[in-house]
Amino acid sequence: MPFRTRGLVRRATPFAGIAAVFAVAIATGAPALLAFPLFLLAVLSVALFDNSAQLIGIGIVAALAILILSITQLGPTSNLATAVFEVAVLGIVAAAVHEVVEHARLAEGSAEQKAIELESIDERLRMTLEAAMIGLGLVTASGRWVQVNEKLAAILGRGREELMQMGLLEVTSDADRGVVEDALGKLGRREIVRWEGEVAETAPDGRWIPVALAVVALGDHVSGEPLLLVQETDISARKRLDGMRDALVAVRHVIVTANSWEQAAPALLGSLCSHLDWDLAQYWSVADERHALRLRNSWFSDGSNLEDFNDPARNLSIEVGGGLVGRVWQSGVAASLDDLATNDYEQASAERHVGLRSAVAFPVVSGGTTMGVIELLGRHARHSDDDLVMLLSTAGVEIGQFIQRTETAEALRHSEADHRAIYERSPIGIARVSADGELLEGNPALLHMLEHDLDTMRSQAWPDLLRAYDQAAGRARIAPLLAGIPDQRSVHVRAATGGGRWLWLQLTATSIPDASGQLEHLLVMAEDVTTVRETQDRLAEALDSQRSANATLEKLDRTKTEFLSIVSHEFRTALTGIQGFSELIRDGGIEPEEIRAYGGYIFNDADRVNRLIGDMLDLDRMESGRMSIRLADVDINDVVTDVITRAASGSAVIVEFKADLDPRLPIVTGDRDRMVQVVSNLANNAVKYSPDGGIVTLSTRAEGGFALISVADTGLGIPPDEIGHVFERFRRVRSGAAQSIPGTGLGLTIVKQIVEMHGGKIWVESAVGHGSAFHFTIPLAAEHTAPNPLRHA
Amino acid sequence: MPELMGTDGYGPSMVLVADDNEVAQRLCRRVLEKAGFGVLIASDGLQAVDLALAQNPNVILMDVAMPGMDGLEAMRQIKAARPEMRVVIASAHSMASDRERFLAAGADDVLSKPFRLGDLVAVVQKLTARPSA
Repeated sequence: MPFRTRGLVRRATPFAGIAAVFAVAIATGAPALLAFPLFLLAVLSVALFDNSAQLIGIGIVAALAILILSITQLGPTSNLATAVFEVAVLGIVAAAVHEVVEHARLAEGSAEQKAIELESIDERLRMTLEAAMIGLGLVTASGRWVQVNEKLAAILGRGREELMQMGLLEVTSDADRGVVEDALGKLGRREIVRWEGEVAETAPDGRWIPVALAVVALGDHVSGEPLLLVQETDISARKRLDGMRDALVAVRHVIVTANSWEQAAPALLGSLCSHLDWDLAQYWSVADERHALRLRNSWFSDGSNLEDFNDPARNLSIEVGGGLVGRVWQSGVAASLDDLATNDYEQASAERHVGLRSAVAFPVVSGGTTMGVIELLGRHARHSDDDLVMLLSTAGVEIGQFIQRTETAEALRHSEADHRAIYERSPIGIARVSADGELLEGNPALLHMLEHDLDTMRSQAWPDLLRAYDQAAGRARIAPLLAGIPDQRSVHVRAATGGGRWLWLQLTATSIPDASGQLEHLLVMAEDVTTVRETQDRLAEALDSQRSANATLEKLDRTKTEFLSIVSHEFRTALTGIQGFSELIRDGGIEPEEIRAYGGYIFNDADRVNRLIGDMLDLDRMESGRMSIRLADVDINDVVTDVITRAASGSAVIVEFKADLDPRLPIVTGDRDRMVQVVSNLANNAVKYSPDGGIVTLSTRAEGGFALISVADTGLGIPPDEIGHVFERFRRVRSGAAQSIPGTGLGLTIVKQIVEMHGGKIWVESAVGHGSAFHFTIPLAAEHTAPNPLRHA
Repeated sequence: MPELMGTDGYGPSMVLVADDNEVAQRLCRRVLEKAGFGVLIASDGLQAVDLALAQNPNVILMDVAMPGMDGLEAMRQIKAARPEMRVVIASAHSMASDRERFLAAGADDVLSKPFRLGDLVAVVQKLTARPSA
C-alpha cells in the first residue's frame, strides 16, 4: 500500500504545482509570462517521468491555466495571442519532451522487459528444477555443486545446504567415483556432451544409494568453467526389484546346477546376500530329532569380520519360538526385524556388537514341513517389504524342495553305493543275466572265481555254466534259467576255470522284475562250494568206509565168535581125552599097562592143546602186526636141507624125502627161523597126509626175482571144494582118510602169514589121490637178483 | 570089529559111539563096557547111520563135528528110520545155544565134552532103562 500511496502523491504533485502557481498568479496579478516557466516545468516533469495520459492531462490543465490568466489580466487580445503561443510552446515542448522521454522510456522498457523475461525464465527453471521428480543439479567439471534441487538432496539423504558444501564425487561411492570423475573430465574437456550411468552414491549413514546418473554439458559458468547439468534418479526400488529377481534367478541357477545342499549352500546363501544386499546369511537346520535348530551353513563376504559372530553360532541351539529364527520355525512364515537397535531380540546384542542392524528370516519348507530357517542379516536398518518377504518365502520353498530332493538323491546314492559295494566286494560271484540268458555283467568275485575276464566269461564260460545250470536244474526239478523263471533254490554244477581247475559251484538264480512285474533280468549268484563238496565227498567216503569198517567189524565179530567156537571145540575135544583118562586113572582099579596107554593119550592131547595155544598166539601176533621178522640173508637150500634132515629123523611115518634144489639159487632176504617154520610145516603136512612109502619132494629154484620153493607129496590130495579153504583157520581136510590126521588147523594159516610177511606168495595145487603141491615164493636179496656164479662152483 | 550083542531079552544094552576122535572112542568104550554096555564104534556120520540101522543099538552117543556126514545129519537119518532109537549128542560144541540147537534137532539128551565119566554112564543108563524092567 505505501507504494501505491506514494505513486498517487507523485502523480498529483504536478497538478498541485500548477494549481498553486495559478492561484498565486491570480492573487498577485502577476503576468502570465512569469507563470509560464513554472507551468512548463510542471509539464516537463510530467513529460519526463509520467505516462502520456498524465502528460495530456497536465498539458490541458496548464494550457487552461495560461489561457485564463491571460484573459483575466491585460487586454484580452494581446494576452490571448501570447497565451495561445505559450500554450503552443508548452504543447510542443511537452510533446517533444514527451516524445524524447517516451523514446528513452521505450528503450529503457525493452531492456527492462528483457530482464524481467530472463528473470521469469530463471524462475521457471528454478521452479522446474524444484518441481522435477528427478534430482537435478548443476556442477562444475570438477564436480563442485553450483545448484541442487530438493529432490536431489532428498535422494542423497542430505540437506541442500549440506549437499552444496560437497561435490558430486564426494557423494559418489568409492566404487564408482573413478568412473564419474572420468566422465566429468571428458565433459569438461568437451570430449563428450553427455554421460549416463548407474552408480552408487552414499548416504550420510554410509548406505549406498543406487542412482541413474546423467550429466549433460551446459554453457560455461561465470567462472569460466563448463557447467554441467546433473540428473539423478533414485533407482533403489528398481535395483531392489532387480536384486530380488536376480536373487531368485541365482537361487534357481544354484539349485539347478548343484548336486547337494552342501555344495549349493555357499553359492546360494552368497547369492541371497549379494543380490539382496545382506551381509550375512545363515541356514539353521532342524536337528536333534526336531527339537532344535542348529547352524548348518553360513555365508558372509570376505573382510566383513563376521567370523566372530558366526563361528560361535555353530554351537548354538535354537528352540522353537526362540528369537526371530525360532519364531519363523514355529510359525512357518517369514518375518523380519527392521532395526535390531530398537528390538530386544535375544541375539541382538551380539549382532549389534558386530554392527548388524536388520534381519529377515524365512522358512525352508518341503512337503509342508519346515526343514530349517534361513536368516539374512544386514548392517543397515531397513524395512523388509512384502515383496521381499514374498520372494524369500518362494525361495524357501524352492530351497526346501531342493534339499529334500538332493538328500533323497544322496540317500539313494548311498544306497546305490552300498549295493555297488556289495556287488563289487562280495566274495560271492554275482552275474547279471538278461532274460534270454546273456551275461550282462559279472562282478569281480565271479571273474576271479572262474579265472576269466569279462569277455571270455561272456563268450565261453558263461554259456557252459548256463547249460550246466539248466541240466542241474532239470535234475533237481527246478525251472531252467533259460526259461527265465528261476526260483531261489540252488543247484550245484561242475565248472572249469580259465586256469583249468574244476570247481563245484552253487548257483542260485533270482529274477528281478521291472516296474510292470515282467522279468527284466536275472541275478545269478555263484558260490565256490568245491571245498564243501569235497568235504562232503570225503565225509561220504568216510561214512562208507565207516560202514564197511562196521561191516568188517561185524564180520570180524562173527569171525571171532566162530573162531572162539572152533577154538573151544578144539580145546574141549582135546580135554575130553585128558579129563576122561585122568579120571579113570584117578579112580583106580586099572592095570599098569592101561595106565601107561592112557598116560600116552593124555600127553598127546595135552601137547596138542599146547601147540594149539602156541599157534594161536603166533597167528594173533602176525595178524596184529606185532610179530617182527629179523631179516637177514638166508640160503633157502640150506633151510630145505635142514628141514629134510630133521623130518626124516623124527617122523614115524615112512616117507621118502627128495630134494631138487637149484644150486644157483641166490640168497633171499628173510627170517631164517620163520623160513624153517614154513618149510617144516609144509613138510610135516605132506608127511601127515602121505601114505607109508609116499614121496615128499622139496624143490627150489629162482624165478623172476623170487626164490620159488615147492613141497609136493604123493598123498591124499585135497578135494576141489576144500582146496580154496586150506589156508583158513581150522580148515583141516577131514574127508576120507585125512580125518584122523592130527593138527591144530592153524598151520597153513600161519605159513601163509609168514610168507606174506616176507613179501612172497603161497598157493597149492592138488589132485585127490595123486597128492598135493604147495608152492611159495620169497624175494631174492637185492644184490643177488642175478644168478650167483659162485654158488655154481 | 564091533562086538555083536543082543539088544533084546536080557542081553546087555548096546551103545553106538560115533566119534572121529580115536581117544574119545577109546575112552567111551572103556567106560561104557566097564558099566556093562555093549559098545559099537563109528568114525563118521555115514558109518554111524549104517551101524545104527544094521545093529539097532539102544543108544547112540553121537559126536557132531565129524568128517563127511556130521552127527546131526546122521541123527536125522537115523531118527527118520528108527524114531524110537535114542540119540545122545556128545559134542565139544558147548555154547549155551548149542544145547538148544541139538535138542531141537531131535536129540534125546545132550552131553558136553569134556564130560565126567559118571555123567556118561548115567545118561546112557537113563535112556536104556526099560519101562518094563
